[in-house]
Amino acid sequence: MRTETAPDVSRASRRSRRRTLSYLAFYATMTVLAVPFVFPTWWMITSSFKPITEIFAFPPTLVPENPTIQPFLDVFALQPFAQQYWNSAYIAIVVTIGTMLVSSLAGYAFARIQFPGANAIFLVVLVGLLIPAEVTIVPLFQMFNGLGLIDTHWPIILVSTFGAPSVLTTFIMRQFFLSLPVELEEAARLDGLNRFSIWWRIAMPLARPALAAVAIFSFLHVWNLYLEPTVYLQSTELFTLPVALTRFTDAYGGALWNVQLAAATMTAVPVLLVFIVAQRQFVEGLAHTGLKG
Amino acid sequence: MTLTAVRALPSRAPARPGGAPRRRPHRHRRQDALVGYLFIAPQALGIVAFVLVPLGLIAYYSAHEWNVLAGTFRFVGTENFERLFTDPQLGGVLQATTIFSIALVIANLTLALVLALLLNRRMRGVGFFRTVFFSPVVVSLVAWTIVWGFLLQADGGINGMLATIGIEGPNWLREGPTAMASVVIVQVFKNVGLNMVLFLAALQGVPHELFEAARVDGARPSTIFWRITFPMISPTILLTVIITIVGSLQVFAQIAVLTQGGPGTSTTVLVYYLFQQAFQFGKFGYGSVLAILLFLIVLVLTIVQWMLRRKWVFHEN
Amino acid sequence: MRSAKMLTITGVLAASAMTLAACAAAEPTAVEPEGPVDLRMTVWTANEDHLALFDSIAEAYMAENENVTSITFDPLPFEDYTTTITTQIAGGNAPDLAWVLENAALDFVGSGALLDLAPTFEEAEGFDYDDLTDSATGLWRDGEGLYAYPFSTSPMAIFSNTTLLAEAGVPSASEQVAAGDWNWEEVAANGAAVKAATGKAGFIVRDFEYQQWDLLSTVWNGWGAQPWNDERTECTMDSDEMVDAFEFLHEAAFETGAMPGPGTTADFFAGEVAYTVTQISRAALLGEAGFEWELHPLPAGPAGEYSVFGQAGIGVIADSPNAQAAADFLAFFTNPENSRQLAQYFPPPRASLLTGETLAQTNPLLSAEQLDAVVVDGIATGVTRPTIEGSAEIQQAVRAQLDALWTPDADIPAVLTSVCDAMQPLIQG
Repeated sequence: MRTETAPDVSRASRRSRRRTLSYLAFYATMTVLAVPFVFPTWWMITSSFKPITEIFAFPPTLVPENPTIQPFLDVFALQPFAQQYWNSAYIAIVVTIGTMLVSSLAGYAFARIQFPGANAIFLVVLVGLLIPAEVTIVPLFQMFNGLGLIDTHWPIILVSTFGAPSVLTTFIMRQFFLSLPVELEEAARLDGLNRFSIWWRIAMPLARPALAAVAIFSFLHVWNLYLEPTVYLQSTELFTLPVALTRFTDAYGGALWNVQLAAATMTAVPVLLVFIVAQRQFVEGLAHTGLKG
Repeated sequence: MTLTAVRALPSRAPARPGGAPRRRPHRHRRQDALVGYLFIAPQALGIVAFVLVPLGLIAYYSAHEWNVLAGTFRFVGTENFERLFTDPQLGGVLQATTIFSIALVIANLTLALVLALLLNRRMRGVGFFRTVFFSPVVVSLVAWTIVWGFLLQADGGINGMLATIGIEGPNWLREGPTAMASVVIVQVFKNVGLNMVLFLAALQGVPHELFEAARVDGARPSTIFWRITFPMISPTILLTVIITIVGSLQVFAQIAVLTQGGPGTSTTVLVYYLFQQAFQFGKFGYGSVLAILLFLIVLVLTIVQWMLRRKWVFHEN
Repeated sequence: MRSAKMLTITGVLAASAMTLAACAAAEPTAVEPEGPVDLRMTVWTANEDHLALFDSIAEAYMAENENVTSITFDPLPFEDYTTTITTQIAGGNAPDLAWVLENAALDFVGSGALLDLAPTFEEAEGFDYDDLTDSATGLWRDGEGLYAYPFSTSPMAIFSNTTLLAEAGVPSASEQVAAGDWNWEEVAANGAAVKAATGKAGFIVRDFEYQQWDLLSTVWNGWGAQPWNDERTECTMDSDEMVDAFEFLHEAAFETGAMPGPGTTADFFAGEVAYTVTQISRAALLGEAGFEWELHPLPAGPAGEYSVFGQAGIGVIADSPNAQAAADFLAFFTNPENSRQLAQYFPPPRASLLTGETLAQTNPLLSAEQLDAVVVDGIATGVTRPTIEGSAEIQQAVRAQLDALWTPDADIPAVLTSVCDAMQPLIQG
């Protein structure tokens, strides 16, 4: 930037006007770009309050003209939606906690403990990252079939917690533990703590940011699962939310858009609210890991 | 997501798999090894049971045919593999898969980079817009897809909006080109926020002095982008390309909800075709062959990107 | 050295995989239980009136048979009904009884998945096995065996919205019939007039929605077209008759607007459509209709008058541990007395009940004349909807090709040729 000998009033005001304009241009661009991100959610929420006659009304109504909560009541009448909500919630929580334990144990061992074959085992585990769930769905279906576990939640819980989906989080934990200074643990060792206590009492409390990222990853992963429950579950009362959402039809298979959207709203909004409250931890936690799911 | 992510990360400690600090009291060694095995056991056994055994089973099933209704399971040799070469649908399926993956990668990364560059500044409201662009990531995938499916109906919201300004919109999900475009767009807006956040993190890691120096030298913004920004964040770009491609090969719910692979087979991607063959037509053997094909594609892509990384990417340390 | 270690690991894993697979392959052992029996029957209707009637029959049965402690009717979504049943059977979670849709009839009857019901029906008290008509049971027989009871033999008919037709100033369906104009050409012309005058839809083939193409047999039979030859070995979707039939539909969808185009929704029972092709069992939906309506047989096509009926069979899954108990319940569920009750929604395959008068007794919404014209004549002269082995795959392959037909400037003969190119390899086996 050039230095100026004397303050030039007109140039300064022109510059500030230009800055105002560029601000305006920036906010205008951002607002336009934001439309496809916000509008679907808005449309989902508002349409779920519309009676079926208004759903395809022309011109489209941005705000329901005759708001009704009937679609929300129909959701519970047509499907055991509360039960399905509980299914999704408890599976997500069990898998998230399970994954945090499995991944932090394995991640810690791979980062800190020396044992024969560690390299080879680590490479074998990483193969899990390479396998899309769709590749193994047929044999997994048949294995669980042989064990009599089809139409139960076990396949979803077991595979998500111990199988391929948890490899990414193990990897995140390992990277994190590698970056921790070893001195604290060395000191604890000299004080006579065993490995398990060191992991639980020293390493885990330090690993909070990484554990948060792991929790977010595995929660979103399980919450969104669609192929697996479609394949493994058959009874309506065992369905998870994503499967249930696709099943809102009238007695003869016709789509019931407003009811389906009401169910979608109830599925999406709570997670969205949690995200808005905790969005800094979300975004930074994910950026911190340098990866995505 | 991929093997090479091991190295793409800016790790602050030496990345030796399983490596532990060298100097270590000798007496702990044996006990340590036992503890190590115990710690990794849940994960390692899980991988054996739910990844490696199924992989072995795929090879076994691919040589068999299972007729569910008749309750028969018989050996058919290489019949299922031969079908791979005579299947008239497969060409179209691979084409749809390729178009989808390439379109998705280009659209997703371009938008993510543009958003990240726009948001990489200190200004009031930046945090708000970051939240907005990221929010679809946390919306349930099926819910998001259902809403878009609703918006994209012939008489749905988008065409309704277009009609109010006098434009007759296409029948988005029922015409080949727009159906594919719709599936890509729905997926881009769902997940672009993740790549945007990764790019933002990478951009903030570029030393500020580099930009200052370039500006002092009078470099134009485009020159600065291509000569400085782009090379500096190239590891992240390559990583996101691979993550996005591998992710695009797994797109299932979007296809199942929006188009069921249609119109024609224009949006029948490999994963959806695999599901159809195995679970809708009961051809579990052929489905296993398709699974092997999918696995090989991912494997080749990973190896290719691993080699490219060494060649192209600006050094990371 | 490291790679040698990896190889060993892989080898061990492969070996254990094989053992596991061998175990998985050698399973099913059915046990005949002696204790209480719980029966489950999958159905595709979720209609509350239908289910209430089923439950009342089931309760009557349980009152007489104390070993049967529960009978559950499990509605599955119609859209992927057959897939879901197949997956349930594959997953060892098969129902005891299942409705089988006609388009999957050959898959089920030919496979051995269903129990032969003939011995049970012949012995069952008061069942009157000989009362079942041959035309209704044909699809479900294999040799001497009967593998499902053709529970619903429902002629396809046309409901018309008299109020809407009057609004558009065109003749009502009965006026058309009286004038000798009850044919597809006039129906389409009136439909186009309704569309032009009111903006509502002219006619629909219910549930078709540009996916479930075999429902169009209710139209193409009027042109004398067939999707395949009688032996089911050769595709005839490219025949001249079929081309004419699809040209008729295409014109209605894309030129006159008589039929709503792909991706637009119109519900007859909500008063949005002038005519709908559907089964008479859907009359149940008209109880609260806010408009006047009529019921008539399918209109004549260029090839003359015709009728088509849809069927659903109830089969007993042979592998079910309760197979015999299930068959006994089925014999009760469909005995003459209960068939008479069920007839209000599901026309029975029984000669004794197939008269307009009998049907009208349980069918408050329809008159004896209507039922005579549509049901009794329809079943006597009609053909079933198309059915073939490997139906899921053929359904999908044809749908994929037909999508190209549902665009404004489609080359119809070329599309139908490509349909046959796709279908032919699948039906030769």
